Amino acid sequence: MNMITILVGILIGLSVITGVLYVFFGQFTVRKLRKKPETKGSLGIEFASGWDILNVAEAFAMPKRATKKWKKSKLSAFFADVELLYKHTNKFDRVLGIVFYWVFTLTGSSAILIFILDTIDVFE
Amino acid sequence: MPQLLLCNTSTTTNTLDHKLGIAPDTVTGVGCTNLGTLNAYRPYLATDKTPTAEDFAVLTQFSSAPVSKELTHLSLCYGADTTLALSEISDTLQKSGIGVMGAGTSIYGNRLASFTDAVKNYQGALLNYREVMKGGGASKVLAKQNVARTFGKMQIGFQHELHSVTGGIKASQKGTPFTNATRAMNIAKSSRTVVKLELNNQVQASQLARFGKSAKLLGNGLVVIDFASRVGNIQNSFDAGENWERELFIESSSFATSTVAGAIAIKAGLSLLMVATPVGWVGLIIGATVLSIGINNTVKNNAGDIYDEIMKGINTL
Repeated sequence: MNMITILVGILIGLSVITGVLYVFFGQFTVRKLRKKPETKGSLGIEFASGWDILNVAEAFAMPKRATKKWKKSKLSAFFADVELLYKHTNKFDRVLGIVFYWVFTLTGSSAILIFILDTIDVFE
Repeated sequence: MPQLLLCNTSTTTNTLDHKLGIAPDTVTGVGCTNLGTLNAYRPYLATDKTPTAEDFAVLTQFSSAPVSKELTHLSLCYGADTTLALSEISDTLQKSGIGVMGAGTSIYGNRLASFTDAVKNYQGALLNYREVMKGGGASKVLAKQNVARTFGKMQIGFQHELHSVTGGIKASQKGTPFTNATRAMNIAKSSRTVVKLELNNQVQASQLARFGKSAKLLGNGLVVIDFASRVGNIQNSFDAGENWERELFIESSSFATSTVAGAIAIKAGLSLLMVATPVGWVGLIIGATVLSIGINNTVKNNAGDIYDEIMKGINTL
């Protein structure tokens, strides 16, 4: 097997893990938040259905400095309200969100990286 | 190729001769020739020669009641040329949906859906205006305002899409219903009950039939189309007696990775707040779509080998 095949294999494995975590985090934490009237409207804009799961995970995973900056920006509606979410989630929810978000980010960015390397013929 | 005739009230062939200059004996319906009256919302063909089997095949495509009804309304409301152009565009959109994958698409799909919504609202307002003008009553002004409002909404939000739609229409001096609300209202107001669509070829006929079917459903989001085409690939390889599990692995893994990558690209763009301007948005969506398509290809090219390796590994256990 050549290099690219192995890398794509790892990528597929990662995206399966991402998928499992996505569904689990969505069902376990975000479904709870969607039902609560206090948090229902603060999960950020949903581009495609299920996008709010990403918003919530991002709110937990990103450093406070970043989330504060987003909240002040014009685009604040696109992000979940992290302070409110903290009040309505427990530690497990947050850890799950953080793990999911970074696995998701790792998968996505390595896919992009592999694509770029493949495009400039690094694997030939 | 024949002309397709549609009407929204029963029309005698004599009136047809009078209004459109079509000789009564050239009109063919589903399963009958030489008829005296055209029924409302049924498709009819006008041919110079004796209708061939091909002509009947064309006619059958339109024979389902919802299809012919929807097409009648659309053609009376927009005019024949515009309807044909619309059908061609929606066909292109659906086809390109198959080539465009991943999360970038679902965002564009949403925009497309809202564009179709805007067109639909405009169309609804026009149809309403048509009804009101026919029946009279005090709500004429209201209906007119409603047309103007929905027209404005469509113009403001979707310049780019409208441009691509109207580009395909043979426009008269007065413009098309998409560029000129007055023209649209005139077409809608005119008491036309019969419309004649010139079909140039078989392809156009089937595009039109499919458009009639999907006009109401249009804009379901391209992801659905994308997914359906992938399922189609798997089905093909199953039918051909090939290794369909392998195909399933390739399609699902490339769908998963390209979607994740498209989503991450959009997330990253958003968190850098680079979408504060419309230009940022366009860049982001194009970027994410390009990435999604590229990654889809990269994964597709390699997923087959990976599947073979995994199966080899399992078999040696």
